Amino acid sequence: MLKDLGTPARGLVRSAALPREIRRRRTVLVLVILASFTLIVLDARRSAGSPVEPLRHAAAAVFGPLESGATSARQPVDNLRDRFAEVDRLKAENEKLKADNEKLTSDLRTTDYARNRAAELDRLLKVAPAYTVTPARVIGIGSAQSFNHTVTIDAGTADGVRPDMTVLNGDGLVGRVVRTTEGTATVLLIGDRNSTVGGRLSSTMALGFVSGRGEVAGTLDYKLVDLRARPKVGDRIVTWGSKGNAPYVPGVPIGTVTSVTPNQGTLGSTATVKSFVDPSRIDLVGVVTGPPARPPRSTVSPEKGR
Amino acid sequence: MPALRIGLAALFLMIAVVVQTSVLPNIAVAGVTCDLVMIVVVALALSRGPEWGAIAGFAGGLMLDVVPPADHTAGRWALALALSGYVAGLVRRDRSAGPVGPLGVALTVVLSAALSLLVYSATGSLLHDPAVDWGEFGVRLGIAAGYDVVGAIVVIPLVMWVMSRVVPARERQRVLP
Repeated sequence: MLKDLGTPARGLVRSAALPREIRRRRTVLVLVILASFTLIVLDARRSAGSPVEPLRHAAAAVFGPLESGATSARQPVDNLRDRFAEVDRLKAENEKLKADNEKLTSDLRTTDYARNRAAELDRLLKVAPAYTVTPARVIGIGSAQSFNHTVTIDAGTADGVRPDMTVLNGDGLVGRVVRTTEGTATVLLIGDRNSTVGGRLSSTMALGFVSGRGEVAGTLDYKLVDLRARPKVGDRIVTWGSKGNAPYVPGVPIGTVTSVTPNQGTLGSTATVKSFVDPSRIDLVGVVTGPPARPPRSTVSPEKGR
Repeated sequence: MPALRIGLAALFLMIAVVVQTSVLPNIAVAGVTCDLVMIVVVALALSRGPEWGAIAGFAGGLMLDVVPPADHTAGRWALALALSGYVAGLVRRDRSAGPVGPLGVALTVVLSAALSLLVYSATGSLLHDPAVDWGEFGVRLGIAAGYDVVGAIVVIPLVMWVMSRVVPARERQRVLP
């Protein structure tokens, strides 16, 4: 019985795979591949203004509100994840609180020293904390298998957000705006391999560059300009600001040094930096849109402040 | 009928793009999310054949390329998913005397995940995108393929069932289980 049903179907398949149909589907394949290559070639030369840009704007206009709406459906998902992570989180929190307690106890003993040093650092950095920050919510996140460390936020040109603006949150530096539309903006995270930030060791004021490693945990590499300067484990790194405050404003905390390895074959050393911001948990961020601060003007001197 | 079919396919792809960019990253495993768009493309290819797979893959990939937060050269996902869709469609053509079994579907999803990620990363390397990290490629592909099979268990039967509702009667016996 089954065999009887099977036979005509097999016949149909045979007839479906006539040379004409095969030719047609190969034509479709070739056309689609050619279209993809055309797109890649058109979009690859970005300096000349890509013709794909209007398409991106249209897509952002359509999908921005949809992503924004879908993000509201996140609460149950978050709850589910948190329930699984609850025990681990409590354990980690307990350890962290113990460590914090010890640290606070020791801080209490050295508070005057720390306050003086903080005042000195403030003076040296000449940080003007008078940034106007536009708050925004993360509504889309790039996935690791596409090697993109980018997020979409729900603020755009309508809110005064422009490309090359600094994005930060309560913990520290998040990244910079690379592309904007009316209602959304794309942010390149500091953990992306395309990202390089000028970073300053807050203990010695030495200048260097923080570049992303493309890792999910947001680990960063730190290379000093001054080859003799040695970063120490536990040193904190802040931005030293770019010319005209774009793309980075000065004085935003980036992360702490977790290990230092001497460079193979050359002078200097590379430090591994753990960013203050956990890239997998960013939700509310701020875009610095406000009055520019003066960039710091202190000179590089590794001995100062030790 | 064809218009309805195309509209449904477009709707599936759009929903997949939105969910993949906004909701799924919150339940990512080690940062890797489920390639929902790829799964929908495979489902469409399995129910309609290679032409549909290639065109649906191109459309879905193009959306992934231009919808924020994408920041890579447009056309890379389009090419990768078009090729995966075409290959997935061939799987169904070769075995369409009977329906593709669950194991066949799972293998097709894994194959498509591997092919699409490989093409996507290779085009990135050709364009000198510093973000592509071949050292991490194997691990991320492994996690992605596993995750995709889990997602496919839910999505593929749903999409194939809906698509089978709108096929003409003369085709039904060929496509339906």
